[in-house]
Amino acid sequence: MIEVKDLSKTYKVGTDIVKAVDNVSLKVEKGEFLSIVGHSGSGKTTFLSLIGGLTKPDSGTVSIEGTDIWSISDNKLSELRNLKINFIYQFSSLIPTLDVIENVLLPTAFSRDKDKKYCDYAMELIETVGIQDKIKSYPSQLSGGQQRRAAIARAFINRPSIILADEPTGDLDEETEIEIMNLFKEMNKNNGITFLIVTHSSELAKHTNKQYRMLNGKLNEA
Amino acid sequence: MKVSHIALKNIKRKFFRSIAIIISVTVVAATLFSVTTVMDSVETSLEKGTARLGADIMVVPAKAQAQAKATLLAGEPSTFYMDRNIVDRVRKIEGVKAASSQVFLKTAKYKCCAVNDMQLIGFNPSTDFSIKPWLIKKLSRPLRDNEIIMGRELTAFDVGSSIRIYGKDMKVVGMLDETGMKFIDNSVFMPYSAMEKISEESKTKKGVKAANLPIDKISTVLVQVAPEISAERVAIFIEHEIDGVKALVTEHVISSVRKQLFVLLRSVFSISIILWVMALLLIGVVFSMIVNERQREIGLLRSMGASKGNIFRLIMTEASILSLSGGILGIIIGGVFIYVFRGLIRSSLNIPYLWPSPLEFIILIAICLFLSLATGTGAALYPAIRSMRMEPYEAIRGGE
Repeated sequence: MIEVKDLSKTYKVGTDIVKAVDNVSLKVEKGEFLSIVGHSGSGKTTFLSLIGGLTKPDSGTVSIEGTDIWSISDNKLSELRNLKINFIYQFSSLIPTLDVIENVLLPTAFSRDKDKKYCDYAMELIETVGIQDKIKSYPSQLSGGQQRRAAIARAFINRPSIILADEPTGDLDEETEIEIMNLFKEMNKNNGITFLIVTHSSELAKHTNKQYRMLNGKLNEA
Repeated sequence: MKVSHIALKNIKRKFFRSIAIIISVTVVAATLFSVTTVMDSVETSLEKGTARLGADIMVVPAKAQAQAKATLLAGEPSTFYMDRNIVDRVRKIEGVKAASSQVFLKTAKYKCCAVNDMQLIGFNPSTDFSIKPWLIKKLSRPLRDNEIIMGRELTAFDVGSSIRIYGKDMKVVGMLDETGMKFIDNSVFMPYSAMEKISEESKTKKGVKAANLPIDKISTVLVQVAPEISAERVAIFIEHEIDGVKALVTEHVISSVRKQLFVLLRSVFSISIILWVMALLLIGVVFSMIVNERQREIGLLRSMGASKGNIFRLIMTEASILSLSGGILGIIIGGVFIYVFRGLIRSSLNIPYLWPSPLEFIILIAICLFLSLATGTGAALYPAIRSMRMEPYEAIRGGE
C-alpha cells in the first residue's frame, strides 16, 4: 500500500549539507499500525513529510496504492492528500479563526465532492474524541489535550486510508496519551486505517504492532 | 464549508487591519468616483447644451467676447448688441449653412417673487434652428406673442402660469429639458416680435421700467456650418469679412471649459493617484505580512489537501472582499458627497453641470468597483503567488 524505495533527502544548513533521509526503503501494508522511533534530528519528521507528499525527495520514489506520488500533478497530489492521507502533528495544528466544528470540517473545503453530508460525521468524530461540549469553542479556549483531540477528529473527516502522525501525544499527560493511542488502535481495527506514527518515545512505540528505528537518516527494523 | 468562509473568518480575525485596508480603498474609490462623476456631469452638460444650442459658431460683438462666454457657459444675464444686418452678412459667407439672430434682454428685478435678473432671449422663428426643433416636437405650433418658453432651472414658474415681464403678462407654455448650461436653463425664450412688443408697450405703461430694447440691433448670430468645411475656417472668414465681431466656435468654448476643468481637477487627480499608489503599497505590505504570519497555516491547509489554486483563491478572496467593501463604501461616500455639495460644486466651478444619466452612473459605478477590486487584488497578487508556491513542509517548518 505504501512503498518507499531508495528515498533520500538532504538539507543545506549554512555551508553544511545534512542528509535527513538516507536511502530509505520501506513497505507498509494496508491496515498496519507501525511506529518509527528516533531522537530529535534523526530525520523521522522529514521521512513522514516525504511519504505524505509535503516535500520532494532528492531521489527515490514513494508509491501510495500503486501511484508514484511525485510523478503526478500538484492538483492530483493535493487530491490524494485530501482523500487518502491525513496528518496529525505534535503542535497545535488548528486554525485559530475557526471553531472546533469548522476546524474538523476544514479538509472538506478542498474536497471535490461538496455534496457529501460531512456534518453528522464531524459530530460523530467530535463525540468519539470526547469534546462534544466544545464544538463552538475556538482553539484559544481549549486545553492542549482538547486541541489535539480536535485535530485527531479532523484527520478522520475525509475517511482517509492512511494516518501519518508526528509525535501525536507529545507534551500530553500520560492518561491522555493512553486515551489517544487507544483511539488510534480502535480506528485501525474498526476502519482498517493504516497508521504510521513517528515518535521519540519507545514507550509510545510499544502500543504499535511494528517498530522501526531511525538514526541519522537511516531506517532499521527495531 | 467553502474557501470563502475561511476567507471571511480570516478578515474578522484581524479586524483593525481589515478596516485599515477597507478605509484605504474607500478613500481612493470615493475620490475617483466623485471626481469622475463631476467631470462626466460637466461633459454631459456641455454635450446637451451644445446640442440644444445647435450652433457651431456664435457671432458676438468683439468687445463683448468675455461677456458672451460668461453668458454661454455660466448663464450670467447680460446684454450686448451689434447691427441687425450682420446676420445677412454672415449668411453670405462661404461655408455658412444657416444663420439666425438672437436678441438678449435682462428682466427688471421682481418685487413679487424670488426671481432676480433673468436673461430674455428673443429668437427669429423663421430662421431659428435652436428652439424651433423643440417647439415642433413638444408644442407642435409656433409661439404666440404672449407666450414664452422657460429654461428648466427657472423652477419658480410652472407651465400654464403667467409672468409679468416689463408690465406684460406672458404665459409659460413650455419648459426646455435640463441641459446644465445656464445660458439655456436660466433663460426665457420668446419670438423677437414679442420682445419688441414688450419693449414698445413698456415705454407707455405707468410704473413700469422701460425695457429699452435697441432698434435694429441683435446680440448674437448663431451659425450652422456646412459639413464640408470646418467651423474654425468659417469663423476666420466671418472675422475677416465683418469688422467688430468675434466668431466663437462653440467646440472651442467647450474645450476651454474642459481645459479649465482639467487644470482644476488635475490636482485632485494627482492626489487620487498618490492615494491609489499608497493603497496599493499598503495592501501589498499587509498581505505580505498576512502570508508570512500564516505560513504554517498555509502549510497545514496544503497538508489537508488544499491545492495551490485553493491557497491562491483564499488570499485573493480575502483581498477581493476587502477591496470590494472599500469600493462600495467609497462609491456611497463619494455619491453622498457630490449630492450634498452639488450646489457648492456648481457655484464654485461656475461651469455647466448636469447629473449623468442612470446608465452613465451605472458605468461609473462599475468602473470604480472594478478599479477598487483591481487595487486590492493587484496588490495581493504577488503575496498570493508567493503563498501558493510555498512547499508545504517548508511552510509548516517556517512557521514554527
